[in-house]
Amino acid sequence: MAFIKMENVSFSYDNDTLHDIPVIKNINLEIEKGSFVAILGHNGSGKSTLAKLLNFILTPNSGKIYINGRDITSPDITENDVFEIRRDIGMVFQNPDNQLVATIIEEDIAFGPENMGVESSEIRRRVDDALAVVGMSKYARHSPHQLSGGQKQRIAIAGIIAMLPECIIFDESTSMLDPSGRHEVMNTIEMLNRERNITVLHITHIMNEAVRADRVIVINDGEIFLDGTPSEVFSNVAELQSVGLDVPQVTELMFEISKDGIDVPINILDEKSCADILEKLLR
Amino acid sequence: MASIELKNVSYIYGENTPFEKKALDNINVRFESGRISGLIGHTGSGKSTLVQLLNGLLKPCSGSILIDGRDIWEFPKKIRDIRFRVGLVFQYPEYQLFEESVYKDIAFGPVNMGLDKDEIDRRVRDAIVFCGLSDDLLKKSPFELSGGQKRRVAIAGIIAMEPEVLILDEPAAGLDPMGREEILGGVWSYQRRNNSTVILVSHSMEDMARYSDNIVVMSDSRIYMTGACSEIFKHADKLVSVGLDVPQITRLIHILIKRGIDIRDDIFTIEAAKDEIMKLIRQKQKGGFPEC
Repeated sequence: MAFIKMENVSFSYDNDTLHDIPVIKNINLEIEKGSFVAILGHNGSGKSTLAKLLNFILTPNSGKIYINGRDITSPDITENDVFEIRRDIGMVFQNPDNQLVATIIEEDIAFGPENMGVESSEIRRRVDDALAVVGMSKYARHSPHQLSGGQKQRIAIAGIIAMLPECIIFDESTSMLDPSGRHEVMNTIEMLNRERNITVLHITHIMNEAVRADRVIVINDGEIFLDGTPSEVFSNVAELQSVGLDVPQVTELMFEISKDGIDVPINILDEKSCADILEKLLR
Repeated sequence: MASIELKNVSYIYGENTPFEKKALDNINVRFESGRISGLIGHTGSGKSTLVQLLNGLLKPCSGSILIDGRDIWEFPKKIRDIRFRVGLVFQYPEYQLFEESVYKDIAFGPVNMGLDKDEIDRRVRDAIVFCGLSDDLLKKSPFELSGGQKRRVAIAGIIAMEPEVLILDEPAAGLDPMGREEILGGVWSYQRRNNSTVILVSHSMEDMARYSDNIVVMSDSRIYMTGACSEIFKHADKLVSVGLDVPQITRLIHILIKRGIDIRDDIFTIEAAKDEIMKLIRQKQKGGFPEC
């Protein structure tokens, strides 16, 4: 059974007017538990709306959404169910400064479980565990403003981990970070997926991050434009460029060389395999 | 057009308090006129403090800031004039739009400079070229525009002041690849048209490689390296050691060099890599020796 299932889901922000423009158009999608999915799309393509539909910040105009087999679009969903959905599917946003609420890091991480009414000894255990997972244990008693952007995002992630989610949606969580901050956060995301079996949806504009996922979904104008493994999706260089997106630099290089009549594969994503091919050509 | 220079500049936040923090430590650097200089550095390296010093939002604790050789703090009461000469675009500038029409928003700077009506009108119409927006949009509310358009209007508001030095802090943050290209390509053509001095702050090494002429690298409150792109990106290990990186294409070239392929080591864009590789392939196909 798929962890997330969307059936004919449509959504528009302005439901009543004549100028109603759907942001999500009849999407059908299944995401398996434990998968690592990258979601790409230009600004305004509907990526973030899709994410907000999944943890009940928004509800669809039509269609069904199932989380763990439960229909979250059913009319008899209760407030309690909503809390459970938001606990199961955590979200980490773009700006590291907007997500931390407390003045001491361990208190910030305790905020989620405290609100869920978790018992205090269990909160202590979860906070320590979450800090260890993101590699920030020695900062437990520090104040968030002393941290770098990458460290702040890891604290935001720890705050989600402490609620024991099954899935985390990262909505452009690396876009404001410097290169080393991006590496820190991407390594943390990958580790949570591999070692804790947390389902990851990573919304990003950075193609080299999408390459690290098992599956890439490209959204364009509220519809699924491409869906497949990174090497399947990124070999559609011209199609991706036509919807305002990019491919990794080495993929684009292979594409450009092949246009000049040289026989090279285009589904190359990393610099090592690209170097292997070029080495053969040039040696 | 103007060059801008920092001489022995230090800046300390909360000096003589328990929270004292040195943000800039004896900085000496010159941003050449008529160039796009990239400014890179890890979070907290001092980039933002540096750009705020350049237009007099902060005053150095020691040292001086010179535009064409003149100290900007020579007449502290006239520091406002410096802010017209050195335009600073903050991150997410679209949050600073506030007027009821695009026209009025872009005109806000020129109006405050005390220019006459005709001059203001000319400047707004010149600046709108940068936005790639048509004239009829000038009457619209800026809040009706898309995110990328709003950001370009906000930048046009600074450009309309016709600053000698234009500084942009992460102008493409949060935009998709096409949006990045529109903004950065727009800045590039503006700079080439006006031969102005531009300082571009970014965390994207790919964008830096594509759009800047020179690069200044900061680390831990100091200048770590300066030079042309081709020089800076040769030092991949050094950049990684200060929390930065090189473009993926440069990493590829470095792998090929390590494997003994004879290829130029100053490649940092896809176009340059393609040209060089195609040249090498053709030479090999001819079976000949490299042309002299």
